[in-house]
Amino acid sequence: MRKIASLEDLIGLDHGKIGHYEALQMNMHRLEIINDQLQQSRAEIQTILDGLTDIMLVLNDQLEIIRANRVFYTQFPEIEGQREGWHCYQIFGNADSPCENCPAVAALHTDSTVHSSQIHEIDGTFRHFDIIATPLVLGGTRRVQIFYRDVTRDKQLQAKYTEAEKMATVGVLAAGVAHEINNPLAAIQGFAEGLKRRMGRIKGEEDVLADFREYTSTILSECSRCRNIVRNLLSFSRPVAARRSSTDINRCIRDTLFILKNHIEEQCSIQLELDLDEKLPNIHGDESQLKQVIINLCTNAIDAMSGMGGRVIISSARTKKNGTAGVEFTIRDEGCGISPQHREKLFEPFFTTKTVGKGVGIGLSTCYTIVASHNGEISVKSTPGKGAAFTVYLPVEAP
Amino acid sequence: MNITKFAIPEIIFGRGSFRHVAPCAQRLGARRILLVSEEGIEQAGWVDQLRQMLSAEGFEQAYYSNVSSNPRDFQIEEGARFYREQKADVILAIGGGSTLDTAKGIAIIASNGGKISDYEGANQVHNPLPPMLFITTTAGSGSDVSQFCIVTSVERQVKMAIISRTLIPNISIIDPLLLTTISRTQIIYSAVDAIAHAVEAYLSIISSPLTELHSLRAVDKILAALPQAAENKSLDAMEVLSSASLSAGIAFSNASLGSEHALAHSLGGHFDMPHGVVHPILLPAFMRYNLDFAEKKLARLGEVILNHRQGNDRETALAGIARLEEFFGTLGVSTRLRDEIPPEKRDLLKEVCQMAVNDACTLTNPRPTSAHELLTLCGEVW
Repeated sequence: MRKIASLEDLIGLDHGKIGHYEALQMNMHRLEIINDQLQQSRAEIQTILDGLTDIMLVLNDQLEIIRANRVFYTQFPEIEGQREGWHCYQIFGNADSPCENCPAVAALHTDSTVHSSQIHEIDGTFRHFDIIATPLVLGGTRRVQIFYRDVTRDKQLQAKYTEAEKMATVGVLAAGVAHEINNPLAAIQGFAEGLKRRMGRIKGEEDVLADFREYTSTILSECSRCRNIVRNLLSFSRPVAARRSSTDINRCIRDTLFILKNHIEEQCSIQLELDLDEKLPNIHGDESQLKQVIINLCTNAIDAMSGMGGRVIISSARTKKNGTAGVEFTIRDEGCGISPQHREKLFEPFFTTKTVGKGVGIGLSTCYTIVASHNGEISVKSTPGKGAAFTVYLPVEAP
Repeated sequence: MNITKFAIPEIIFGRGSFRHVAPCAQRLGARRILLVSEEGIEQAGWVDQLRQMLSAEGFEQAYYSNVSSNPRDFQIEEGARFYREQKADVILAIGGGSTLDTAKGIAIIASNGGKISDYEGANQVHNPLPPMLFITTTAGSGSDVSQFCIVTSVERQVKMAIISRTLIPNISIIDPLLLTTISRTQIIYSAVDAIAHAVEAYLSIISSPLTELHSLRAVDKILAALPQAAENKSLDAMEVLSSASLSAGIAFSNASLGSEHALAHSLGGHFDMPHGVVHPILLPAFMRYNLDFAEKKLARLGEVILNHRQGNDRETALAGIARLEEFFGTLGVSTRLRDEIPPEKRDLLKEVCQMAVNDACTLTNPRPTSAHELLTLCGEVW
């Protein structure tokens, strides 16, 4: 016998029938240990998920939120209390049905990872998300894991950078053109004035003389017009972070239209009407930026009427908002108008209804940014098919 | 030994107690039962009856019947695999000592894993066993109430003793009606085995008043009932044998055995002879061998065997042993070793005796036993 027994072994005082209860206890103990291990690994996984800086959701095939990470609940604290039954489109799309081009639906449908970029309005601000949706099979049921990376700031910076770059290029061009044109212009003006002085010495030939007088004064007035154009070009070429100074909005409007005249006259069927309040107070603002706002709004107005004709009415007026004195100007067109579904996206960067090559969708968003930086407001009224009116309010006092 | 221990299973005894098997299985939480039995019991029709009763109560069953006299290690390991494959939850065995020991072995492996030889010795089983419900069909093995399990190691040609309190079945059903189908030889061998259990447990150095009571009762009742039971299988006699054998089982499970059983295990393992065969040959010689070390106890046994005292302790003891020898002579079974072992294999006895001194049963023998003494005893009974 390999294991020699002793009398104590045979009596077995310390041994008895090992029963169900002990077995149960041992199993319970084993289960408790396994449970602890599971809890721990679960907590680890949750910690890893919570460490993500992007919103992560797991949705079922009805797009109902099954799981979410900490960032999600930090952004949407109202959901923390009642986690059940929320759909992603209720939170991100503010809608009762899935959004158009939903990446989660596409991922489930194609059974592959789908990348997407979408803009959602959250708490009244537009946020730009890069979205990655990956189909999963969890416990035999189909799920989709979806990451939302907030790239709003990146996009804004990118837009500002693009705009700044564009303005800098325009500035360099304008400065060069101005320089090149100013010199011949000065010569033309000088010689025209010389001609005008010498004309008194010419006797007789009164008919010819009268013609010469008219021609030289036309040359001189056109020279001064050229000078104005050059000056205006230079004002646009100033750096973006320009100084603020006392600015006459009416003059801004006139200057801008002076530049846009050609553009407007090309569209022969468009009539421009001005209704300016001549007693408008100056405001404290950045002339070049405000001119840009006027250009953008006018260009949009003209584009909205392209091919159909009509009037563009530009008006200005004194006004008061929340007890603060200010001025406002309105650019009204009789174009195609703005459809309701587009209206809330109007001021988003890169939203455009123009054809490729005509615009990239930063005009109105730039206007919005500029007006906001002047503590002003920009608003729009539109009847689809009948036209649109953009009104800009600017306070008189310096911000 | 001042402190002793006495453990027995729940015992359901009596004619027709067999019918209680389904409620017993119910109480043990059975849903899918591993039924262990052997061909002889099948032929007697008991297995079919049992399965019908279980089916009627909605128990699923898996049936294992690879059982032989002197159960082998591989049969047990195969049975344990079967138990696990079948996802059984309770072990129900019906049969003699071999069947019940097979069931015990299966229970050990089923919940403890490994090989059966891993559990050889005392108290080596550490995990709880599946619930065991045993129905004995012989009167003698005592396996249906004991903490012993004897398994033959094929490789080592030895009987391994596995001793553990947890081997005591949960419920043991003893129905004398089941004994009516066994053969005369089986009745005799089982009964003599039971006498050997009773005598050796009585002489054991760890016997207690509780076990001694059962030992003496067993010897008395078996001597009284065996002749009639062997002759005509009278149900009354069978019932007496049944309860006497139960007493012997209770006694040896708690007091252990002695050197006679150690040698019987060793012989059985070596020559593959039925366990019951050797006791009529060995028991009287071993009683005499222990006389100097247990004179008072042997005298008390003599008094029970003779139904009276005959002179002093020693005289009474010797007279009792002589009467027992004489009784065995009347049963028509072998009383000399040469009747069972071919002469050319006599040389193997030395090895057999060497093996026997290592058996746990020698521990409780009143006289410390050496291999040499065992060989001498073998010579005396050759």
